[in-house]
Amino acid sequence: MRLPDSITGSFLVVLGAAAAYGGYILPPVPGQPVGPNVFPLVIGCGLALCGLAIVFGIGHSFEEEEELVPFEDGQAAAPPPQSKLYGLRALLPPALLLFYVFAADRLGFIITAAIIVYLTSTALGAKWKLALPLAALSPFAIHLIFGKLLRVPLPAGLLPTPW
Amino acid sequence: MLKTLVDAFALISTWEVIISMFAASVYGLVIGSLPGLSATMATALLVPVTFYLSPIAAIATIVAASSMAIFSGDIPGALLRIPGTPASAAYADEAYAMTRKGQAELALGAGVWFSAVGGIAGVLSLMILAPPLAEIALSFSTFEYFWLALLGLMCATLVARSSPVKAIAGMFIGLLVACIGIENPGGVPRFTFGLTDLFGGIEPIPALVGVFAVAQVMRAMLTPEPPPLPRRKFGSIMAGQWRLTKLYHWQMTRGNIVGIIIGVLPGAGADMAAWVSYAMSKRFSKEPEKFGTGHVEGLVEAGASNNASIASGWVPSLLFGIPGDTIAAIAIGVLYMKGLNPGPTLFTEKASSMYAIYLMFIIANILMIPLGIAMIRVATYILLAPRSAIMPIIMLCCAVGSFAIGNNMFGVVTVAAFGVIGYVMETNGYPVAAMVLGIVMGTMVEQAFVTSLIKSDGSILPFFERPVAAILAAMAIGALLWPVMVWIWRKVKQPQTAAATTR
Repeated sequence: MRLPDSITGSFLVVLGAAAAYGGYILPPVPGQPVGPNVFPLVIGCGLALCGLAIVFGIGHSFEEEEELVPFEDGQAAAPPPQSKLYGLRALLPPALLLFYVFAADRLGFIITAAIIVYLTSTALGAKWKLALPLAALSPFAIHLIFGKLLRVPLPAGLLPTPW
Repeated sequence: MLKTLVDAFALISTWEVIISMFAASVYGLVIGSLPGLSATMATALLVPVTFYLSPIAAIATIVAASSMAIFSGDIPGALLRIPGTPASAAYADEAYAMTRKGQAELALGAGVWFSAVGGIAGVLSLMILAPPLAEIALSFSTFEYFWLALLGLMCATLVARSSPVKAIAGMFIGLLVACIGIENPGGVPRFTFGLTDLFGGIEPIPALVGVFAVAQVMRAMLTPEPPPLPRRKFGSIMAGQWRLTKLYHWQMTRGNIVGIIIGVLPGAGADMAAWVSYAMSKRFSKEPEKFGTGHVEGLVEAGASNNASIASGWVPSLLFGIPGDTIAAIAIGVLYMKGLNPGPTLFTEKASSMYAIYLMFIIANILMIPLGIAMIRVATYILLAPRSAIMPIIMLCCAVGSFAIGNNMFGVVTVAAFGVIGYVMETNGYPVAAMVLGIVMGTMVEQAFVTSLIKSDGSILPFFERPVAAILAAMAIGALLWPVMVWIWRKVKQPQTAAATTR
């Protein structure tokens, strides 16, 4: 997911310009010189300027210096480049959180949580011997702490908890 | 004075406070010791729990968990050469070298002992510095607040150890996020795209959880599992620490002072304190050649420094609502929720609560010694827990915790979105800490800025007219121009050295 600076910089220019324009079209407060439009305008312009500077590589020299700092063995050892889809694995956690948003009310907390735990655990390389008991027990533990002790209204769904 | 102290004691000597403090200490020690789970993440995941506690107990958990996590990050640093928290990264190599020389006890003991000493020094600075600063802060107008907030944001970009331009861009992104919602000078829906969920704005806490916890799980998906810890028996951990204290008392004091100063600076926190102190220790040491080969001197100074910065980071948080670091940013959120709105009047109106915070910091740092020793002894077993068992639980905590903050599902969406944003920013060299401070401080910066502009009738001049405002403005602008000056200095120096080598 490492993108060239020209792409992230250009994205920031667009974002900044959009923010500045979005601020500009906001209705002003009658009788006042400054209203809700000033701050986004300033930030948008600043962001666009930063984006331009990044596109042109200003400040890049500071980054190279950081890469000279020796990293610890464990962190530096990058995984061997596998298929192109390998990088998409990183999107699993946010995808699972969105799954929680859509499924929790229907399936209930316990079932949704068990699915999330099982998938995350397997994706990180756990065998079913670890992932299954974990998925079976940890939702109940979390429910006990948050649902019972802290009284967060967790959805019951298809499988209500015994308490 | 004496009465407030007695009141403070009464506030903290309830079972709720004692139990939550103890539990949070153990939690902080465990999370801090696991590689990849930082002290900030430990604190962020704790916030939903603090909702259901009394104000003092809530702050007790934050204080205890953050202090403990900063220390216990040293444990995997020394045993595995993988820092448990970024604040331990500065000296993980040194500590690991000591372990290889068979001095693991000395390295870890120095971690516990000098962390506790540093923490207590930090509290003392908080007690001494905060009240007089509160007196000064009472006369601050919106101009001063604006510059102070800007100075905090600029410091956050200076210490980012990345491209300053990218750090400033990160800060702007954070400020832009803070623009969302109807809480703006005009009270109009801004950047809400017609979504009712966005009317209230983006809550800082789910954003923090996303950036620090979900992004970490995402990173774990692509990085290999850290190696297991070799099993070892530890000798006496505290033996020799008193000797070290006497031998390196000057280094320790210097570490404490540097940590306090960096902590007080808005925006700079424990990891910066550790890096600066380690570098200073090497620079001023009588035997710099020993550094990197397993020499305890740098450990003493940096360990004393990073814990000192934790407590002193609360100074700007309590006085101005400007966080000293990301942990303090979370603490500010909790303070607001619990009706202890940061500001100079906090020290007069809620004096007993303030003393309770001091006392809790001192207790947490004393508690760190026995609990820390116990933690070092059981660390071998805790670090056996595979990542594939810990990360799923973290995911569940993210989902449930962010739901609990507002009892609506939009919190979970926010967490997921900021997980992606944090991950993409981090991999591309945009420091997320700058963005986080931008989100936390955005509303305050805008309010101070717009109110000042209205007062000055659109003119810029009054921003510099008051003496304190002028000083703060000079500092903020200096911080902005600092990278430019470094860049020019390097450009000037480079031809010289090039000329010198060709000669």
